[in-house]
Amino acid sequence: MTEQIGPQPKRGPHLVLMACYALFILASGSRAIVQIATQFHVAPFAYVLSAVAGVTYVVGWFAIRRAARGRPRLAEVMLWVELAGVVVVGTLSLVKKDWFPDASVWSDYGGGYGWVPAVLPIAALFWLHRTHEKNDPEEGTA
Amino acid sequence: MHGSLAPIAWIVVGYGVIVATAAVVGLALKAPRPRWLDQLAWMLELLCVVLGLGALGSLLQGHRPPSMETHVGYLAALVCIMPVAILSMREERESWSSGVVAVAAVATVVVAVRLMVTR
Repeated sequence: MTEQIGPQPKRGPHLVLMACYALFILASGSRAIVQIATQFHVAPFAYVLSAVAGVTYVVGWFAIRRAARGRPRLAEVMLWVELAGVVVVGTLSLVKKDWFPDASVWSDYGGGYGWVPAVLPIAALFWLHRTHEKNDPEEGTA
Repeated sequence: MHGSLAPIAWIVVGYGVIVATAAVVGLALKAPRPRWLDQLAWMLELLCVVLGLGALGSLLQGHRPPSMETHVGYLAALVCIMPVAILSMREERESWSSGVVAVAAVATVVVAVRLMVTR
């Protein structure tokens, strides 16, 4: 076993996080594309929000990748944006049901996807917090 | 998807659960990803290909699911998820790479179930 030296770990939990984000890029992106292309008139607001979720996951994937290489700023912003999106859209889908004739990715706080969309940014923020704490001394000397 | 393919889909689901469980155990033990986990995962992929070919054959025979786009999307995802996961981790054998295999196996199980629902 080799010991890694340096502030930029290429191994760790972020691999699993990135795999989850890649899956959600696939799931929400393809869902949004199909729904917008075939039945946009049914629930335009919900379908646009699904597309926004897809874009958020793309940026989130890159943000986690950057954070794992020692540049956490984008992730610090994007993960909170993503969590806010899940909370706001999830709440709206419960309070304003007429705005959502069909579900978006973040409807019911991601209930259609086993609430993984709600857990994912929290898990990523937890990872970011722990990694950032570990890397703080090195960042100070960089 | 034709009804006769449902048993294969359930085999994919059951086997996928086994692969995911094995990967999670490997992750929990913090052991480097063993070769046999890759072999289990490739076996799952083989089952997915068999299921995918069967579903494709049923489409070519004229079977029409309620939403063709969704069904074809699930078919493509079923066949592609595991190879992408394993190939992206081929140089990486640390314990967290088992977590990636676990995520891919769970996703494959979910897609197989969705494929049966949308047949």
